[in-house]
Amino acid sequence: MELKGFEVIWNNLDYLMWGNLPGGIALTLIMSLSAIIFATLLGILLGVGLTLAKGGIRQILVVFLGFLRAIPIIMLIFWTFFLLPILFNIDVPAIATVIFALSLVGAAYIGYSVHAGMVAISQGQWQAAFSLGLGKKQVIFYIILPQAVKMMMPSIVNQWIPLIKDSSLAYIVGVAELTFVATQINNRSMIYPTEIFIFVILVYFVICWFVNFVVAQFLKDRSY
Amino acid sequence: MRIKLSIIIGTLIGALFTTQAAYADRLDDIEKRSVIKIAVFDSNPPFGFVDEKTHKIIGLDVDYANAIGKALDVKVDLIPTNPANRIPLLSSQKADLIIANFTVTEERAKTVDFSLPYFATGQKFIARKGVLKTAEDLKNLRIGADKGTVMEITLREKFPFAKVISYDDTPFAFTALRNGVVQAITQDDAKLVGLLANVPADQRAAFEISPFSITEEYQAVGIPKGEARLKEKVDQTLLNLEKDGTADQIYSRWFGPDTTSAIPRGDFKIGEVK
Repeated sequence: MELKGFEVIWNNLDYLMWGNLPGGIALTLIMSLSAIIFATLLGILLGVGLTLAKGGIRQILVVFLGFLRAIPIIMLIFWTFFLLPILFNIDVPAIATVIFALSLVGAAYIGYSVHAGMVAISQGQWQAAFSLGLGKKQVIFYIILPQAVKMMMPSIVNQWIPLIKDSSLAYIVGVAELTFVATQINNRSMIYPTEIFIFVILVYFVICWFVNFVVAQFLKDRSY
Repeated sequence: MRIKLSIIIGTLIGALFTTQAAYADRLDDIEKRSVIKIAVFDSNPPFGFVDEKTHKIIGLDVDYANAIGKALDVKVDLIPTNPANRIPLLSSQKADLIIANFTVTEERAKTVDFSLPYFATGQKFIARKGVLKTAEDLKNLRIGADKGTVMEITLREKFPFAKVISYDDTPFAFTALRNGVVQAITQDDAKLVGLLANVPADQRAAFEISPFSITEEYQAVGIPKGEARLKEKVDQTLLNLEKDGTADQIYSRWFGPDTTSAIPRGDFKIGEVK
């Protein structure tokens, strides 16, 4: 099929890039980056929690994480957007809802990765650290986590990539990220869906590949 | 069915609200905050779509939204919506009104109130020339419809022998038609005319809009359930728009003879249909 319609991309490039400030690719980047940062920090805390907590608290944590991993992200976005204002009488902006939902789900997955990484550190490391007289916090944050996180990095990046792609689910609450503005343009121009969504695929590919590349470089240069 | 789901969710949220929040008159709220939040389509030309140059939402529905805002003397805050989240937006009070090519149906009327209809359409089809002469020809065809729309449901009910395939939106359905995945696609006549107008002339020649329509539908403003004063104000505004000729002006701005989707307005007038 002929693809002469690529000028539709060129004509709308500024709108695809940043929409009505913020929007488009820029908003996709902002939301994914925020979600990645929050998800990673929260995920590490949850991982530590899973490793250290015992009894009832651990049960609650496991159920909570299981819940987050079991529900579709699109439902979490949908319900936080429409339910939070009712339950807490606060009107959460749509963009914040999306970042919130992506961060929670991402954190649940990363939490289990971190937990697995911490468990995999040999008992000798724990014992050696404790026998140096370090407190529990110090053992975790100076001895165990740095080793665990380094080991788990590929797995954590594995979670970052879906966070970037899942930001496209923001359409359900009307957030004008890349896929959303592409749909708007598609519906106006009517006959160029192939061209428009090839472009969308390319953009997601470049973003995700770039994240992968940067992390790979970072890990290679780092020496312990 | 997406439309069912959105109605159920809308009802649920609505139920939560009425039990939790004390009753307040929405018209008073709107006047107090001097802003009316109106849900409009952002990807459904010519009813509501993003302008290529200004990047603002424009369209027939938007003109009505602005006219209502003007009549209330408040600022209009447009909220982009799609068929799936129109009713939830209204039920969760994220929007005060829906003006998004919103077809009046009995089922929807259980969850939201409707104003007087301000637009009339019929459900038609696009197919390759000569395929559709009468509604009988629809039997045993594969037909593309837009997900979450009334057309999808009507088609399934009235033509159980046709194979209905749902697409996310019209461009996808039309691509399926061009590639031969479906033999016809269905939408409002108003939208189909606009669609064909966008197709390059050499390809347009191969397609035509069906001479018959299988329904007569009315589009109205969606109003939160039980907001009688707001409904009265909206109805009154619509009637005034018809009386002073604004309704005609709005119509010809989007469907007049100078536009790419020219269709005569016919004999529909606001206020004649309840």
